[in-house]
Amino acid sequence: MDLFDKLVELRKDGLAKIKEATDEKKLNEVRVELVGKKGELTKILHSMKEVAPDKRREVGQRVNELRDLFNEQLDGTKEEILKALAQKKLEEERIDVTLPGKRGHVGSKHPIYLILDDLEALFIGMGYQVVQGPEIETDHYVFEMMNLPKDHPARDMQETFYIDSENLLRSQTSGDQARVLEKHDFAKGPLKMVGPGKVYRRDDDDATHSHQFMQMEGLVVDKHVTMGDLKGTLEMIAKHVFGADRATRLRPSYFPFTEPSVEMDVSCFNCDGKGCPICKYTGWIEVLGAGMVHPNVLENAGVDSSVYGGFAFGVGLDRFAILKYGVDDIRDFYTNDVRFLGQFRKEDK
Amino acid sequence: MLVSYNWLKEFVDIDDLDVNDLAEKITRTGVEIADVAHPMAGLKKLVVGYVEECVAIEGTHLHKTLVDAGQDEKLQIVCGAPNVAAGEKVIVALHGARIAGGHKIKRGKIRGIESNGMICGLQEIGFNESVVPSEFVDGIYVFPADADVKPGEDVYEALGMDDYIFDFDITPNRADTLSMEGAAYEVGAIVDKPVKIEPVVLKEDGAAWTDSFSAEIDQKLAPKYYLRKFSGITVKPSPLWMQTRLWNAGIRPINNVVDITNYVMLLTGLPMHAYDARTFKDHQIGVRLAEKGEKFTLLSDKKIELDAQDIVITDGTKPVALAGVMGGLNSEIQPDTTDVYLEVGVFDPTLIRKAALRHANRTEASSRFEKGVNWDNLEKAENMAALLLRNEAGATVAQGILKAADQQKEPTVIKTTVSYINKVLGTEISADEMKRIFDRLNFESNFAGDELTVNVPARRWDLAIPADLVEEVGRLYGYDNIKSTQPLLAETHGGYSEAETKLRRVKSIVQGQGLMEAISYSLTSPEKAHAFVKEAKADAKIKMPLNSSRSVMRQNLLEGLLDAASYNFARKENELFLFEQGRTYDREGGEFHEHEHLAALYSGHVYADNWQHEDREVDFYFVKGQLEELFISLGIKGVSYRAEAISGMHLTRTAGIYLDGEYLGMIGMIAPSLTFLDKTLRGHEIYAYELDLDVLSKYQTQGTKAVPAPKFPAIERDLSILVSDNLTNEDVEKVIRENAGKYLTKLQVIDVYQGEHIESGKKSLAYNLTFRNDHDTLTDSVVSKAMETISEALIAKLGANIR
Ligand SMILES: [Zn+2]
Repeated sequence: MDLFDKLVELRKDGLAKIKEATDEKKLNEVRVELVGKKGELTKILHSMKEVAPDKRREVGQRVNELRDLFNEQLDGTKEEILKALAQKKLEEERIDVTLPGKRGHVGSKHPIYLILDDLEALFIGMGYQVVQGPEIETDHYVFEMMNLPKDHPARDMQETFYIDSENLLRSQTSGDQARVLEKHDFAKGPLKMVGPGKVYRRDDDDATHSHQFMQMEGLVVDKHVTMGDLKGTLEMIAKHVFGADRATRLRPSYFPFTEPSVEMDVSCFNCDGKGCPICKYTGWIEVLGAGMVHPNVLENAGVDSSVYGGFAFGVGLDRFAILKYGVDDIRDFYTNDVRFLGQFRKEDK
Repeated sequence: MLVSYNWLKEFVDIDDLDVNDLAEKITRTGVEIADVAHPMAGLKKLVVGYVEECVAIEGTHLHKTLVDAGQDEKLQIVCGAPNVAAGEKVIVALHGARIAGGHKIKRGKIRGIESNGMICGLQEIGFNESVVPSEFVDGIYVFPADADVKPGEDVYEALGMDDYIFDFDITPNRADTLSMEGAAYEVGAIVDKPVKIEPVVLKEDGAAWTDSFSAEIDQKLAPKYYLRKFSGITVKPSPLWMQTRLWNAGIRPINNVVDITNYVMLLTGLPMHAYDARTFKDHQIGVRLAEKGEKFTLLSDKKIELDAQDIVITDGTKPVALAGVMGGLNSEIQPDTTDVYLEVGVFDPTLIRKAALRHANRTEASSRFEKGVNWDNLEKAENMAALLLRNEAGATVAQGILKAADQQKEPTVIKTTVSYINKVLGTEISADEMKRIFDRLNFESNFAGDELTVNVPARRWDLAIPADLVEEVGRLYGYDNIKSTQPLLAETHGGYSEAETKLRRVKSIVQGQGLMEAISYSLTSPEKAHAFVKEAKADAKIKMPLNSSRSVMRQNLLEGLLDAASYNFARKENELFLFEQGRTYDREGGEFHEHEHLAALYSGHVYADNWQHEDREVDFYFVKGQLEELFISLGIKGVSYRAEAISGMHLTRTAGIYLDGEYLGMIGMIAPSLTFLDKTLRGHEIYAYELDLDVLSKYQTQGTKAVPAPKFPAIERDLSILVSDNLTNEDVEKVIRENAGKYLTKLQVIDVYQGEHIESGKKSLAYNLTFRNDHDTLTDSVVSKAMETISEALIAKLGANIR
């Protein structure tokens, strides 16, 4: 058998052996046997002297071709073996992805703050400053400055927790209006503020009353602020909170600190205005009170009411939350039942 | 005020308007109409019946009656009312009738006796008991003998039930509409129709009397006080037409004299009061303040003790009425009353309001006086009442009105400009249009170019300044017609204050940590107010609390969260991760202070129940870890914890938290004594912290100067020591840090052991130390040198064994 025949045979045997190797160890043995330093191909090269000189070049070429083929096949097979190995390991690592995860605790915002944060963002976007004042207020700021002198009948409308004859728990956030009006420098631009916070009234707690709740006051004062501006602003609040498809109406009302005073109703979201128990069969739900700042309020704060004027509004945040989320008992906001609080997690406004 | 549509029609032509459209229009333009009631709505087959026969059914309280109800045959009806009798005209619900509450009436048998319908009381056909004449409250209604009703006719018209009743839900400034005349002026202006309000023409037919009667009136209390005198009166029920108007207005008919005073009040808005003339034996009357402690019985039989700020009407000496609120039992109209004095006056609104509140006795009269009445209408009220008393009670009207007080008010004249009104409203209403609006209101207005003068009639005492006219013009022009705009102002920068921004950051971090936001009441009990604080401060205390558990302002937030825990535990909700961000309040040094706080409460497990059985319970170190994460997120360093006793907290598991030596708050376990006392808290381990955010915010800073991430490798070493168990981790860390040299970048406790493998009184601590030089590669020898120094120091200073 000459070298050429040997090479043909080696090719056939070698490829078969590579194919047969099923693990890395066997494959390495085959590699040593075929292409190793003492392997078959090397042996053939060593026996080159038996070949006629004119054929040696050809034999060398054939040996190199065969070495490349073996290496290629060996590498390919090795890759397959490793792949299979990895696959096997992955199989062993298989888990049941349908088992539940291990849950910690999921935080949440209180629903009243959901409403408040959303409104604040709306007003900040329109250039309003968010201002917070004290909750323990003086009769002076909550009432006197707001055009509610002592013995004003409207003081009965909101029975107040007094600490002494002058200090009290604020029954409305409007005291913030007076404080801001006093300080504002109109030479530096218009006054636009919202003032959210807790307020307190001497009410016994029941489904619709709470001795503590939250309000947000709004105030815009400058040289040219109109009732049309108020109407546009109120409509924007109502549509923002209750939906763009809600109809709104303004009704004359009365607050000592605004003149004219209005209240705004939105069409009932339960019955769409047809009448139902929620809207007491009127088709309308009252959502807020507002008006043009009373000249006395401006003058009391040292603002010239013949030059400056503006509007103010007050939003009951608990009431907004009650209406928006369909809460039927205001006490739910203050008992902090985690089953109640948890349901608002998905809300972002 | 309940305003009758049928009555209103006598003043304004509103026949062409749909009742509900009219109500909506009034609501949008003037006064909110809270409700439009139609008393006959839902009722069916209620007719007048004449009881021809009435026989008692033996052994029962029932009567068998034979009733002519206009049917082909007389109806046999069994009736249980005590006041049923032959000869009465009554309300009959026929077979198939529908009465109040949607109940259907069918013929049937009662005690085996056939009954073809039902004889009704007023409550049964929908009347509120408070307006039913007292003689009919416990029985059937009987029409007055002279009532113009025939058997078989529907009852609705005769009883005023075909009316529509508008509930005028007035604001306190619009008390002018608490009368039919006021309502008519308002509705006339709204629908733009003339209003027919006529003067009263009265011819007195009695003798002059005013000279022989003396009055002593404190005019500060009653700036106006008129009296008329009547004689020859017969007290009896008032005519049905008047009764229906009263009950439709929510007022119970009493007798003709009292009903007439109420009727005239409804008409003019002026409360009146009738006194039996026998009250004033000495022919004198007085208006003065009561004496404190004076006992007095109101005509409702209610006994009160008068206050020095109550106004009383006297017979010259003793009180006979609580002025403006209610008459006295001692001057009440009796069945045998023949002579009457009729009062109409104006009383001080504030004193009346306070008297009604003080004696819990608000009445139709007091609610009008406290909001003001029409000073121009007193004489008309007296004369209208006189006419009615003559017609309906046979009264002789004595000549003259005793005007014992008769102050005059300056007429209100408001000057403003057309342009001012338009500027405020954002409208372009012309002077002509404005004039039309004032005409509709029946106000005299004069225009001179832009200038505008309006004479406001006394019946609109709510109007005084130009802004009031802005409202009148605006609402009648129609708020619906004002264009919605946004303020066109110089640009302003909106946003939160710096303090608020910091609070919001804290809230968002703890929400992200899995805490649920709670809101608790600020008012609490003194005990709860003072718990969980290092030192209780002087309380901000309410003068008249609703109850003792809400009498002072809280000085901590944790008490509220603990209430929430109790509430949730009681409902088997035991996994609590709660926080509240809010204020605490005190009155330290006589001044009021409000501090922003953050409190967090943890109870239960770190993870929800899981199949991997990782059921680690929340403990001190878990909560402290959460707090440390908060501080890391806020960039706050150098926080120290000192074991400390704080009221309400576990004595040995609580730490005060300090920043730069300043008390920032506390962290720990709620005292077992506290959780044991409360049945629902018992058995729960509760951990909590509370921070003063006013202190914290001083250390919250913004702005980071970036430093590149470290380029050189760090070297880590472990150190294990044995020390006396009364040393704290902090003691050890302090020594390590002081002796570690400048390359120690991190020091971490990795093990704490105390127990059987260690000699008693000792504990084993292990630390991991990380060293790094930011400017060069650190060598082992440098680190080993540092470790040696540390070990020596630990041995020397703390007597530690290095293991
Ligand atoms: Zn509805």
